[in-house]
Amino acid sequence: MHAAIRAIEYHLPENTISTADLAAQFPDWSAEKIDAKTGIECRHIAATDECASDLAVAAAQKLFTSGACSPQDIDYVLFCTQSPDYFLPTTACLLQDRLGIPTTAGALDFNLGCSGFIYGLGLSEGLISSGQASTVLLLTAETYSKFLHPRDRSVRTVFGDAAAATLLAATNVGEPLLGPFIYGSDGAGGPNLIVPTGGSRQPRTEESAREYEDATGNVRSGDSLFMSGPEIFNFTLSAVPASVDRLLAKSGRTLGDIDLFVFHQANRYMLDHLRKRLGIPPEKFYVFMKNCGNTVSSTIPIALKSAMMEGRLPEGSLAMLVGFGVGYSWGATLMRSSEMRNVLPSKSPGLISDP
Amino acid sequence: MPIGDTISQMIRREFLMALDEILELPPGTLQGPEKLEGFAHWDSTAVISFMALADSNNGVRLAPREMSSCETVDDLLRLAKVDV
Repeated sequence: MHAAIRAIEYHLPENTISTADLAAQFPDWSAEKIDAKTGIECRHIAATDECASDLAVAAAQKLFTSGACSPQDIDYVLFCTQSPDYFLPTTACLLQDRLGIPTTAGALDFNLGCSGFIYGLGLSEGLISSGQASTVLLLTAETYSKFLHPRDRSVRTVFGDAAAATLLAATNVGEPLLGPFIYGSDGAGGPNLIVPTGGSRQPRTEESAREYEDATGNVRSGDSLFMSGPEIFNFTLSAVPASVDRLLAKSGRTLGDIDLFVFHQANRYMLDHLRKRLGIPPEKFYVFMKNCGNTVSSTIPIALKSAMMEGRLPEGSLAMLVGFGVGYSWGATLMRSSEMRNVLPSKSPGLISDP
Repeated sequence: MPIGDTISQMIRREFLMALDEILELPPGTLQGPEKLEGFAHWDSTAVISFMALADSNNGVRLAPREMSSCETVDDLLRLAKVDV
């Protein structure tokens, strides 16, 4: 048995912030400049009392109401987030209860960002192919907006909040539909994308809450998210092309064998550069972030759902999925869409287009 | 390109024109000796744009830490392996 993606749903919080809103707050950056660099027109922002788990519940409930599965079908919950409800207990356990999933199901959180969906697929394939589970609910959810300082334009223009629910079920096929997988980690890059305080290493204090302004006018504190855009860009140039090469070598495929490339939707400028550097034709490179922004671990499932709805992943097609970011952490896999006919094109209220 | 430019002069001119655009300056503004700290738009976005330019046009991967030690436009060009 192997894992197959049977359905994907996602949820975007109701509140939004547009590029025009941000341009008004940061007069040095025009809406045109923000659009040219990010490719993002709108970001959805969680309400003050709305947690990543709440977004995940909404996404999972869409799966259930779509008829893709019922809570009773799930025997394992994987929850990818860097915004858990508590230090403890495990948020995935709370989600089992909130979603009415049987108490016989396994549940665990894993803390990853933009590579999280790939790792979630790898864990799901492992759980299913080893017979430990038959139906996995992979939830990815993030509320980075709560980490962002309101006056840090470098990150507020990029990130949006979202959750995605991906249903993976056992299918009796000879060849895996997901895989092979390649992974990578480099903790030396940890300080380049970090929320320094609030964990065990550095508790939040009056001192850590003190605001400072960097050389380019962005304001943040030790309690807010810091991202070195140039260091992340440098990491991406190093990790992504090498990951694509490793995956192609491991799978015995060539770039021309891939029908659709779905990368982590970091920002348009980075994706354009990576696409050109890798020599991928634009029609094979899927971009979907205009109306939701960089939603961290949910960008790939959201883009996949959109690509499926647009008929960009017909039965038999082969997609390459690549996630990369905070950690540093990265991963890539191939997805054959021979079983994707079971994906139900539900009329999800959160579904948006990215023309 | 002006007649008589050598290839290295053409490359240098291309980089300067691209940097004009990155720094939101009128085409032909930059000559090379200008101090980077004088430009309002020399920020992290501009640094990334220049890294992409060096990677695409010259196949040179620039380390942000090395770039932060550059004081002038010519320092940047040298780092990107452009003849100054």
